[in-house]
Amino acid sequence: MDKENHSSKPIIISIISLTLFLVIWEIVCRAGLIDPVFMPAPSKIFARAVKLIGNGELMAHTLASTRRVMVGFMISSMVAIPFGIFLGSSRLFMSICDPFISLLRPLPSMSWIPLSLLWLGITETQKYSIVFMGSFAPSLLYIIEATKSIDPLLIRAARNLGASKLDVMREVILPGALPQIISGLKVMLGIAWTCIISAELVAAREGLGFMIMNGKEYFQTDTVMLGMVMISITVMVIDVVFKKFERRLLPWTR
Amino acid sequence: MDTLNGQSKICVNNVTKCFSSKQGEVTALKDLSLDIMDGEFLVVVGASGCGKTTLINMIAGFDSPSSGEILLDGKPVTGITPECGMIFQQYALFPWKTVQENVEFGLKMKRIPKSERKTIAAKFIDLVALNGFEKSYPHHLSGGMKQRVSIARALANDPEVMLLDEPFAALDAMTRQVLQEQLVRIYEKHKKTIIFITHSIDEALLLSSRIAVMTARPGSIAQEIVNDLPHPRNADVQLSDNYMALKRKIWDSVQAEVLKSMEVETG
Repeated sequence: MDKENHSSKPIIISIISLTLFLVIWEIVCRAGLIDPVFMPAPSKIFARAVKLIGNGELMAHTLASTRRVMVGFMISSMVAIPFGIFLGSSRLFMSICDPFISLLRPLPSMSWIPLSLLWLGITETQKYSIVFMGSFAPSLLYIIEATKSIDPLLIRAARNLGASKLDVMREVILPGALPQIISGLKVMLGIAWTCIISAELVAAREGLGFMIMNGKEYFQTDTVMLGMVMISITVMVIDVVFKKFERRLLPWTR
Repeated sequence: MDTLNGQSKICVNNVTKCFSSKQGEVTALKDLSLDIMDGEFLVVVGASGCGKTTLINMIAGFDSPSSGEILLDGKPVTGITPECGMIFQQYALFPWKTVQENVEFGLKMKRIPKSERKTIAAKFIDLVALNGFEKSYPHHLSGGMKQRVSIARALANDPEVMLLDEPFAALDAMTRQVLQEQLVRIYEKHKKTIIFITHSIDEALLLSSRIAVMTARPGSIAQEIVNDLPHPRNADVQLSDNYMALKRKIWDSVQAEVLKSMEVETG
């Protein structure tokens, strides 16, 4: 049992299975078994990628969507984290806000699109607001749950050492809930992407969602599929970055 | 018991504590009175479930009596008091803080500047012999080391009273003995008033200057015994007739209470 061999095997198998899949897909398309408008060959999608990278369009669309997700998600997290900690540690404020959270939570982000268009028009602010509305209520619930999971003994110990209620929130509840908050936010980041792509599909002038919708208008199935592949890749890259960031934020869990 | 002795640090006056539970009202403590002198090392011994922890939680201000009062320096305890530093059986260290940051916590809450905090923390980390572990996180430490951090954290905050709730119960026998000796040394050096809770009679005899035996639930004080065994309480002392006599006396008292509580449960 060579250790190195043992760990690299699954990756090799994965690469082979992916390559095999692409090769079969290519052959099926080249043999004319599938209408290219219905399903273009991988080489066609690749050629489209090369073209769109060359003229800078692909990067522009990807960056536009990424920027919207990041801005909306940051604002949502920056409001949800302190608000959630506050709600999680105060029964009174929880009872005051509970009906509103319960009403907001079941609303899919899509349902905000018409209202946000009426209020804000096809603007960047409208895109951020969709991400915000889609991720705020679920983030808040994750954070309230995380706050409640703190060992009450630690709160006692902190109070016994002279911490005020505010000190307890900053010094005990926030760091104590952070591992759970971060794993919640990771899920929320995925949801934020869903929000922005839906918003772009409905009304936008740039972004991956727009690119996909525009491709569909011109029957460019390769552009549509390229857009979908780009979403996957971008989310995967952000996930890796997020994990690095997570390790730096939570040094004690190592 | 109603008069305030000039040297009393803490007076527990006729304290009763009831909890409401699913089975109805439970009386944990009933008319418990106890005076703790300034600078004394009081060990409270009692069987499990007799309300020892309830008592210490009320002295720390985590909980309030249903009736009666607790005075600290003659003033009623109405909330959590940093003057009474608590040490928990489960250590209660902040997992996201290093040893040093844990020890500095109380000082940080007092808004003491960083450099000063560091000096004070270093002194107490040294006292509990954890030099070299300043940057470690609690989960890298053994149980005994964690409890030493917890002791240093309480001492760094310079409380007048230290409350220890079965602090060594979760440790192995060897570690426990080392920590007991360290605690006695700290007590002799820093002259804090200490209230220490345990169910171990040997631990009570080794550490205390006075022992209070609690009754079965509802808890009150069955007996108070002055422990004048000579220091250091080494093997010789532990084999002396005096030690044996004291141990028997406490054991009889505790045993009577345990039997009583078993009768209550089975009868």
